[in-house]
Amino acid sequence: MYNEIKKSQNRLDGYEKVTGQAKFGADLNFGHQLYAKTVYSEYPRAEIVSIDISEAEKLEGVVDIITYEDIPGENEMFGRFPVLAAKEVKYIGDGVAVVAAKSKETAEKAVDLINVEYKEKQPLFNMKKAYNSKDDLVHTDKEDNIIEHSHHLMRKGNIKEGLQKADVILERTYYTPFVDQAYIEPEVIVTIPDPYREGIEIHGSIQNPYSIRENVAKIMDLKISQVKVIHSTIGGSFGGKDESVMLMAARTAILAKRTDRPIKMVLTREESMLESCKRHAYELNYKIGAKQDGTIVAIEDEVYTQGGPYNNKAMFANWRGSVHATGPYRVENVKTDYYGVYTNTIYGGAYRGFSAPQTVFGSESLIDELAYELDISPKEIRLKNCLKEGDTFATGQKFGPGEIPAPLADIIEGVCEHSDYEEKRAEYKEFNNKHNEKKKGIGISCTIRGAGLGGEGIDTAGATLTIDQDGSINLISDLTEMGQGMRTAHSQIAAETLGVSLERFTFINTDTSIIMDGGPTVASRGTLAGGQAVIEAARKLKERLKKVASKKLDCKKEDIVIGNDLIYHKQNKEKTIAFEDLIEVCLNDLGISLSAQGWYNPGPEELDEETGQGKAYPTYVYGCAVTEITVDIKTGKVNVDKITAGYDIGTPINPQQVKGQLYGGLLQGLGYSLMEEFEQKEGYLKTDNFDDYLIPSIKDMPDIDIKLFDIEDDFGPYGAKSVGELGIELVAPSVTNAFYDATGRRIREIPLNLERTLLGKSLSK
Amino acid sequence: MQEFNFLQPENYREALNLLNEYHGKSKIIAGGTDLIVDLRKEKYTDLKYLIDISKLDELEYIKEDGEYIKIGSYTNHKSITKSDLVNKYAKILTLGCSEIGSPQIRNRGTIGGNIITGSPCADSVTPLVALNAIIVIESKEQKREVPIEEFYEGPYRPKIKANELLKEVYFKKLDNSYQGDFIKVKRRNAVSKARINIAALGKIDQAGKVFDIRLAPGSITPKPQRFKSVEELVKGREPDNEIIEKMGQKVAEIMIDKSGYRWSTEYKRPVIRDLTKRILKTVLEVE
Repeated sequence: MYNEIKKSQNRLDGYEKVTGQAKFGADLNFGHQLYAKTVYSEYPRAEIVSIDISEAEKLEGVVDIITYEDIPGENEMFGRFPVLAAKEVKYIGDGVAVVAAKSKETAEKAVDLINVEYKEKQPLFNMKKAYNSKDDLVHTDKEDNIIEHSHHLMRKGNIKEGLQKADVILERTYYTPFVDQAYIEPEVIVTIPDPYREGIEIHGSIQNPYSIRENVAKIMDLKISQVKVIHSTIGGSFGGKDESVMLMAARTAILAKRTDRPIKMVLTREESMLESCKRHAYELNYKIGAKQDGTIVAIEDEVYTQGGPYNNKAMFANWRGSVHATGPYRVENVKTDYYGVYTNTIYGGAYRGFSAPQTVFGSESLIDELAYELDISPKEIRLKNCLKEGDTFATGQKFGPGEIPAPLADIIEGVCEHSDYEEKRAEYKEFNNKHNEKKKGIGISCTIRGAGLGGEGIDTAGATLTIDQDGSINLISDLTEMGQGMRTAHSQIAAETLGVSLERFTFINTDTSIIMDGGPTVASRGTLAGGQAVIEAARKLKERLKKVASKKLDCKKEDIVIGNDLIYHKQNKEKTIAFEDLIEVCLNDLGISLSAQGWYNPGPEELDEETGQGKAYPTYVYGCAVTEITVDIKTGKVNVDKITAGYDIGTPINPQQVKGQLYGGLLQGLGYSLMEEFEQKEGYLKTDNFDDYLIPSIKDMPDIDIKLFDIEDDFGPYGAKSVGELGIELVAPSVTNAFYDATGRRIREIPLNLERTLLGKSLSK
Repeated sequence: MQEFNFLQPENYREALNLLNEYHGKSKIIAGGTDLIVDLRKEKYTDLKYLIDISKLDELEYIKEDGEYIKIGSYTNHKSITKSDLVNKYAKILTLGCSEIGSPQIRNRGTIGGNIITGSPCADSVTPLVALNAIIVIESKEQKREVPIEEFYEGPYRPKIKANELLKEVYFKKLDNSYQGDFIKVKRRNAVSKARINIAALGKIDQAGKVFDIRLAPGSITPKPQRFKSVEELVKGREPDNEIIEKMGQKVAEIMIDKSGYRWSTEYKRPVIRDLTKRILKTVLEVE
């Protein structure tokens, strides 16, 4: 019934990318540009006694050097990040000074000539120690080390009474590490003084242009509209190109203003790993109570999330975590607490999943442990407890027809049947009895995920569509294309709504001076929220076109149909106008505007902050994965052989792109499960490039079999929901659950690297 | 990255002359897969010249010479893995080279480079040690040959003078009565340094006794070497699980003797023991 959506159409920006025509930030060069480089802290925590730039200033080719004294406006941005540290450095990635020089090499040399005198302080590395400390504070204006607004909770039923009803209670703690987004393109910012007016223009690898604009305006003491941000083609972001590029944008903006020259700053991989956010490291403490038959009666959990020295979105991520802490299960008695903690380490932030990879690892390991404790199949215990029609979520939200769909039981059944889950469990048991060196295992995990921002903020987004004289249509989305395929999905939605073909569509990169603030491109909301704005813009245009067409064809507007690039009368097919001809009439004969904006505003979510109860998210997506592994128990090597997964993401606007998103997420989840980890020693980063920070290669990619369960849900555009982050979160628990199935050993900390698999712990140099 | 001059000799003699002229201030660049990384880290402070040997056909060959296979130092890993000669007479080298890096690295990286870098976990070196390979080194003045086991002072420290060039590596062809294997333990399935590797060759005589056994574990000792005292345990005897068990234990003990108890020993001790057992079962055909 659809012409343009539910169809695997080629990417709109595919041609530019495969021919190398698309410019990434590092490809941009402007006349007379200078190269900027940051002087980073030498200690994880120290007082800055003095900064001596005199030697560096003398170096031929050095044009300018700035320190905290040269910031025109405030020296504090989102998350309390300073542009440059003033009195104290709080981790080894803090910037102290920035050099602008005529060449990269000169800038590098100058950085070495800047002499900063420090007075070392004892840093706070340990999250629990920092949490408990009331006198040793990362931010001395606070009373403790708990990140502002990061304590989120969920209270449902009565936890004490719930646990009393339980036949069995398990208490478990799980740990997840800091991991890097590992995008192929390191961060780039090129800032130029606005050539026409007071202000600056920022280009680069920027995920969220509006927040960068706002923060730079603040530190530059400019009006928001005097800062113009244009994102370049982005080589991956996954939540990462945000705070680091905010710092770069701020530093280069100051230098651009002072020197009146373009400033280019490209991070090395080492700098990127040092200065960009990581997925928060978690400690998840769970207590679960259940009946002998496997029915969960209560879950109590306390989760600590490591934030580093700045408040990098812990207040948002922890809220999301607190909603999902009990997993996709019916639990009548819930007590959940999430706390973000300041430490003098690298800092946590957004990375695909935004609390889900950590939380789902905890909750899905937990239910698996419960299954084995009660000698129930891991599949059956999930089927028994998963949210079904008539159940209520931890938030009190009700599931059922006309409300939130609850398809998980069907997905679990479907995935288990498709993967021969129970048969393989039996088969592998037999295999393991016969083999001493290699063991095989199969593991399952499930998830529920709130679609969009939900209670994190108002999920508004905008889009503008403009039809030009030749019948081509330009799409300006207020959200950002980072490689996820958003432009194509948005254009397909617009094409479907307008009744025209996708070939007509072109796009421009986000430019904050000509678009509305559509909020951040995060939370898998690009299609969900952005798509709604696109529909609205397309409908407005369609109405205008129909009105003109009805006069031309001399019939009622209601009888006009636009489809297949034709405008015709719904009964009388001979009454037609070609799309191009109608456009010409509108623009040239009648002077009608064929540019329309759409704005989507679902309104604020209603939540009780004291209990966490309320409408946390308007709707949810679901998934279930079954993972098969082989373990070499003599070397500790785990190989993931196959992942069979099923998802309900609503309508797949572009099934090929949906699968691409899921494959990519699964591969990143595989790295999280098996190999990704930062080695830190006394606050210093020992892992700073891809020789030590291992991410999976194509040879680590298992067979992947994905089935999409297209469950009817009216909430999103054409029933589409969210997909961007969903792929990543099921992998780690299904791998560790498979590991238990294979070996009878439960590992409660990822990654399952060689040493941890063999010895139960990581070793460090 | 540091600055340097790039010299590209037209022939082998010219390369030796340049090395002689700029010795101490120059480095040979072949595939560059290790050197470029070092240059970015500014590891060689005295470096002024890079001498590129990529145009020297005289150094790129795999040939049969009587009872030997000879490989020119500028032969890349891909060519070795595709060579019928190597595959027929020295399968363990095919296995080792095919484990190196990625297709791109195997296309660029050379066997000479892998030998000169001298990493204790080099995937071509452990097979070469098991093959009793000989290295041919030449300077403007003289030519010399060294068994590969004697070529290293320690990790990343090959015994080669600044004016010398690694010309060739050669080894005796193995007849098809030899069993060989190479095992690599790695953190991921490609582009991965060996956590541990091990190469082994074995030949059983008609009486069912061990005629020849060569055991070369990698990245557990500062320099690659055969564990001859372990080999002796089984030589001339009929191999069985009991001896193999003992040999595994012994390899782990020798590792600690030679390398000391390091941060990684807790992991490597059981793993090298079990890998030794695994590879010996294969090459000595023990069930």
